[in-house]
Amino acid sequence: MAGKIELEVKGLDFYYAGDVHALKKINLTVYKNAVTSLIGPSGCGKTTLLRCFNRMHDLYPGNRYQGEVIFQGDNILSGGTDLINLRSRIGMVFQKPTPFPMSIFDNIAYGLKLKGVRKRADLSERVEKALVHSALWDEVKDKLNASAYALSGGQQQRLVIARALAVNPEVLLFDEPTSALDPISTAKIEELAAVLKKEVTIVIVTHNMQQAARISDWTGFLMLGELIEFDKTDRIFTAPSEKLTEDYVTGRFG
Amino acid sequence: MTREQIRKTEGFIALTLSTLAAFMGLFWLVFILGDVLVHGIKALKLSLFLNDPAPPGVEGGGLRNAFVGQLLITVCATLIGVPVGVLGGTFLAEYARGRGIARIISILSDIMVSVPSIVIGTFIYAVLVRPIGHFSGWAGAVALSIIMIPVVLRTTEDMLSLVPWTLREAAFALGAPYYKVITQVVYRGAATGILTGILLSIARVAGETAPLLFTSFNNSFFSLDMKQPVASLTVTIFQYAMGPYDNWHAQAWAAAFVITVFILLLTITGRLIIRWRYK
Repeated sequence: MAGKIELEVKGLDFYYAGDVHALKKINLTVYKNAVTSLIGPSGCGKTTLLRCFNRMHDLYPGNRYQGEVIFQGDNILSGGTDLINLRSRIGMVFQKPTPFPMSIFDNIAYGLKLKGVRKRADLSERVEKALVHSALWDEVKDKLNASAYALSGGQQQRLVIARALAVNPEVLLFDEPTSALDPISTAKIEELAAVLKKEVTIVIVTHNMQQAARISDWTGFLMLGELIEFDKTDRIFTAPSEKLTEDYVTGRFG
Repeated sequence: MTREQIRKTEGFIALTLSTLAAFMGLFWLVFILGDVLVHGIKALKLSLFLNDPAPPGVEGGGLRNAFVGQLLITVCATLIGVPVGVLGGTFLAEYARGRGIARIISILSDIMVSVPSIVIGTFIYAVLVRPIGHFSGWAGAVALSIIMIPVVLRTTEDMLSLVPWTLREAAFALGAPYYKVITQVVYRGAATGILTGILLSIARVAGETAPLLFTSFNNSFFSLDMKQPVASLTVTIFQYAMGPYDNWHAQAWAAAFVITVFILLLTITGRLIIRWRYK
């Protein structure tokens, strides 16, 4: 099932400000139209790795990358990368829902407006499409002008997914998207991931190993900043080649 | 006495003292407000708002010049002070976040807030009034805006810092440049707080007399020319209350009443906005 390659991480080292070596020589391939999950104990670097893919670390001074992340032929870690363009092609959904303090409609239209979509009709059409996509349309179609804060946590998270989808990204990064949600909302987001991967490549960081097993095609296991093992999800969970991986997925530590 | 009795006695003394202190403060406040209310309402007439002052010693006349002048100076001060304060607060909370310069400016602003306003009046006298050669409405507006700026700046900084970082990250993650993140997302999140700060800063300067004495001075005639001395309620109150005529005293009471009500309304609006936001 190894299909086309979306992102290729080659010898990636990452240092937080003050030379904290958070990622060590990571090599990993993210395949197109698949769900790749990153698992590992707290502080292992999985979120740090995820945030390299949209250069989120650049927001804070002193952080440093070494190595390469190849996205469609270009090393996105190189100095010349247009971050605004990169982030509109690689979207991100955070642990806690992050609706903007504006209406449901304006939340989704925000990214579109940034991309220069101005016509009301175009905006409406693409907002609706994004909401349908994220399985939220039926719940909010009558209150698009209501504040996004009026939605429940699970709805807010799907709203944020819709907002990310609206700009047609090629990759979606999920940073523990369900850890603040109830089981029913979690199930909805997981179903969504399975549907969405037909159109976008998904990388998800999760603390929940069952979740990784349920929704992902590929799994990377990280510990102390190193990628211990990367393989197809069913192999990682049934026949891992590393002892550490086996101990972690069977719940012996972590 | 047992230990327990000593503790109870100590508690009783502390309670009594703090209650007394609270009543001490309240007593004078109620006294002043009550006095302004009683005397002010008695002197409140429609002609006060419609007529300009009559010559000294002559009955009648009003304070139209001072009401309009006060409004003019306050509006101009707001137009200067609010943009500078909001942009300065934005610089501290966003662009200079975590840097030494931000801390230094914050601390200096806090000091500025408690500088006696007469110091700012004399400062503007030295840098604007003296070089130009005469008092002017603009000098008054600049003096008041300097009092506003640190208040607005610190409120803006605090309110922006309350907006969670994840919200900014979410906007960045959509490919927004920083100035759009600030103006379209962060400002919205902090809008009510910043607005409250602006209202309270207007209330703060609306009651200032000392800085105006040295800058816009006073004008017995109706004038909209900000390049010339402009009348204000507070300076008029000062002058009339010191004057020898009874009708001046009455008008000073009325002016004091109007300005107190104005400040009260601004403060209440500010409080209501806060409550509405955190309900």
